[in-house]
Amino acid sequence: MKKTTERIEMLAAEYVLGSLEGSARKRFERWMVDSAKVREEVWFWEQKLGLLSAKVPEVSPPSSVWSAIERRLWRHESPVGSAQSRANHRWFWPSWSVVATAAALVMAFVLIQPSPETSQTGLSGAIVQADTSDPLWLVSEAGQSNLLKLRSVAASAADTGKDYELWIVPENGQPLSLGVIPVGGVHEVRLTKQARAALSQSRTLAISLEPLGGSTTGAPSGPILHVAQLYEL
Amino acid sequence: MSQNDNSQDDLMRLLLAVAREDREAFQQLYHSVSSRMFGMCLKLAGQRDLAEEALQEAFIQIWHRSREYHMDKGMPLGWMMSIARYRTLDMMRSRKVRHNSGEEHLEHIADGREGPLDESLRSAGEAQLTGCLDELSDVQRDSILLSYYKGLTHDELAQVLNSPLGTVKSWIRRGLTALKRCLEP
Repeated sequence: MKKTTERIEMLAAEYVLGSLEGSARKRFERWMVDSAKVREEVWFWEQKLGLLSAKVPEVSPPSSVWSAIERRLWRHESPVGSAQSRANHRWFWPSWSVVATAAALVMAFVLIQPSPETSQTGLSGAIVQADTSDPLWLVSEAGQSNLLKLRSVAASAADTGKDYELWIVPENGQPLSLGVIPVGGVHEVRLTKQARAALSQSRTLAISLEPLGGSTTGAPSGPILHVAQLYEL
Repeated sequence: MSQNDNSQDDLMRLLLAVAREDREAFQQLYHSVSSRMFGMCLKLAGQRDLAEEALQEAFIQIWHRSREYHMDKGMPLGWMMSIARYRTLDMMRSRKVRHNSGEEHLEHIADGREGPLDESLRSAGEAQLTGCLDELSDVQRDSILLSYYKGLTHDELAQVLNSPLGTVKSWIRRGLTALKRCLEP
């Protein structure tokens, strides 16, 4: 469908009004991504029609709504007003020591005995959470194949519309993505030489919460949920 | 008006702080606007549980998207209200809210003594759009306001206003075109 001025004006108005529905609404949202002109038209209508909201009577929402928001955004952390104000973690990757301090609240590092399948020398460890007795994931590496295995134990599914993404935290520089990890079963990740070298040095993995399909920026964009130190067995 | 400007300045400050991931500012922002937002979600959805969920989703989005806000998108309150409105509409549509509550819901809207739209909203809408709604015919104005406040789809409007679908669509389009002419600087 051609994006004529008239069509953009009408569809933007109907989009903001809400009467544009279904696949037409989805298609128009793609137009918004592509075109500044389309976005500006939407903003025009949002501002004009938005005036209609001004006189709708206010209604206090129940306190459970705020609790749910806090739980969803920061469920692994302490509530607002505590001494742990970690404002900027989403926007830069802090040094390992900062991560370690922050993660100490929710993390314990445990040493896992090698299972028969990991009898060769390799890295091993667990991603755990303080208030859960079982580890979330067990991590093991088959010594010669550069294959990292994650076995889901007590991990629960990510929030709707979110994925867990696994990272190597190198001693220096940006974290390396190992892709999104599913919950349930055993997930295998083949490490490149570079990734294996970085992991050998730092022995540190992290898991962040990301949009479906993983971070689009190449670095963690959501909260860092877990940091785990691996051990050579 | 100046009081309104002040509160928009406050909201702007809070939103900037939220973009720096200041949680206390986020909580203040929630307390400043959640009642207005919830009133709007509730009016639109007509269901408390859905409105509560939409409010929750809206604030999750506001937290994650606060960095995307800029003045071209309008004042902070309007920007946040738009987010909440879209979330509510999405949820209503994906859960087919109208179909579940069925004809009864639509008849209830059509039952009001003042016609399908309650009079307080109609006059509020007129005052807010600086007289531009006067330029519209009654059916054009009511179609637009019912879509806006109650989230009615074209099909639902046709049912409530007891008119063919094509007619309702053209009321909305002509009404919006006239509004645009009147509202443009």
